[in-house]
Amino acid sequence: MSRVVVCTWGTTGGAEELLTLARGTAAALDATLGWLVLGPAPHDLTEIASRQDVPIVDRIEDEKLQSFGGDVAIAAVAAYARQHDFRLMLVPQTFDARVLAPRVAARIDAGVVMNGVGVGMEGGVLAVTASAYGGDTRVVYALDAGRFVVGIVTSALTAAPAAKPASAVTRHCPVDLAGVEERVRVVARSEAAGPRIEEADILVAGGRGLGEKANYRLVQELAEALGGMAAASRPIVDEGWAEPARQVGLTGKITRPTLYIAAGISGASQHMVGCAAAKTLVAINRDPDAAIFKYARFGIVGDCLEILPALTRAVKG
Amino acid sequence: MALRIVVCAKEVLDPDAVNNYALEGRLVIGDDGRSLTQSSIPRLMNAYDEQAIEAALRIREAGVQCTITVVSVGEGQDILKHAASLGIDEPVAIQADSGTLDQHGIAKLLAAFVTSRGGADLVLCGRQASDDDQGVVPALLAEHLGVPAVTIARSVEATAAGGELGVRVVRVTPDGDETVTASAPVVVTISNELGQARYPTMAGRMAARKKKIASVTTAELGIAGEELRPRVTLAKQFVPTVKSSCEMIPGNAEEAARALIARLRAESVVR
Repeated sequence: MSRVVVCTWGTTGGAEELLTLARGTAAALDATLGWLVLGPAPHDLTEIASRQDVPIVDRIEDEKLQSFGGDVAIAAVAAYARQHDFRLMLVPQTFDARVLAPRVAARIDAGVVMNGVGVGMEGGVLAVTASAYGGDTRVVYALDAGRFVVGIVTSALTAAPAAKPASAVTRHCPVDLAGVEERVRVVARSEAAGPRIEEADILVAGGRGLGEKANYRLVQELAEALGGMAAASRPIVDEGWAEPARQVGLTGKITRPTLYIAAGISGASQHMVGCAAAKTLVAINRDPDAAIFKYARFGIVGDCLEILPALTRAVKG
Repeated sequence: MALRIVVCAKEVLDPDAVNNYALEGRLVIGDDGRSLTQSSIPRLMNAYDEQAIEAALRIREAGVQCTITVVSVGEGQDILKHAASLGIDEPVAIQADSGTLDQHGIAKLLAAFVTSRGGADLVLCGRQASDDDQGVVPALLAEHLGVPAVTIARSVEATAAGGELGVRVVRVTPDGDETVTASAPVVVTISNELGQARYPTMAGRMAARKKKIASVTTAELGIAGEELRPRVTLAKQFVPTVKSSCEMIPGNAEEAARALIARLRAESVVR
């Protein structure tokens, strides 16, 4: 029987959503569901495996996997793939996964697709739907025969528990990593500066509609009043109005806050990729036809330079 | 000995034009159900690849003796002319029908090309192509060449500590910048944080007219048939529809702001 395996490492962000997707895919393929966990077990491993009805959790524990290192993690997954057959391996598309997935695929001669937003059967053939053109289009790739490693953007997925929970069996899968050394050496890291927008509950994001760098302050002030964080679109990060760590979108951060206020942002697909999972999205734009309103729950048509300070006053007042 | 740099470039549909059509709701898929065929969308070099060329030129300008080859798979003669006008040494087209190749095939051809030239010390690629956004070719290429890949660089510096060629790269990671070093040969992918790529000068354009674009065939690279068989096939492409349910809050700035905050408080979205 073929298998659909979800591979994760580090924290379990996105894992449960991905397991829900994988469970459905496994059922459609008449395959079994597996979960491969690299390195230390996340604290909620057992509960998630149970809720998602994962029969077997495979674990690779090795001293070298305490933190994510490209060469070691890739060697570990490739070694696992040589020992354990599967039809499809799904990885949550993190920064590191973008390197891991294709390199593992090359080593085991599997096909690879990134930016997946869904997996299913298309005319009787396993297929993955992925975003393209910065989210302007969706492409459906057929995964005809052989093995595949697919990166899935988990922010738009939802987790649903299995009809009947199971108690997973843990299987330890030792691999020999003795000869594997990192070929890329980290010599310096900039200080991780405080909280990250990926984890923020409230985000206020500014775009070109702010007009000039000095006006980014208005975004920061509203964010502060709301107890949230300031974020930014790519154009204003490229302009140097905000730091890269605040960039939301395809080439920035994928966020999923409770509230996302987009001020002076047109709503280009490549930006929406990073905020579409917000529970409540508020759009402020001068142009009533701006694409951002299509995604928003609430909209205000007007100049964000007037509306941002008015919102700050309304929050404080 | 000169540092051998190979930059991989791809021709794409102008992503800004595609996005403008999308924002206006006028983006259509061609009759084949798979491709964007609107002829008014210009074709140009993937912007990240242009920045990869820029990274190579900056290495040269830092005083490193190097040769810069720009290679593209498929028809893309125009982007190679553009590359030539920027002052690179050698533009090369790999003759292949890019429409029948997947990422795997493209990476195989690029690896075979690099190998056919006796290798490269530094292979520079854009972080991803702005059409399919896949970003897997550089990693596949690194694997086929058996070399490490350093991704999402904002700057690349060539090093020669103790006579050993290598790179020092600043990567843009979700946790901030990370500086890494690696020995050559190595693949490095360039991100938009590198900054604006230069425009060709008039003199560069004139010189490019005389520059011949070298051409190699898949047969010359010794790659054919099964090795290029696509693993992944594009079945269809579509424009996603968004079901709008936006509630517009009326009034002047003060009124709208107060009304919005009241609504968000009523729904316990904000305190």
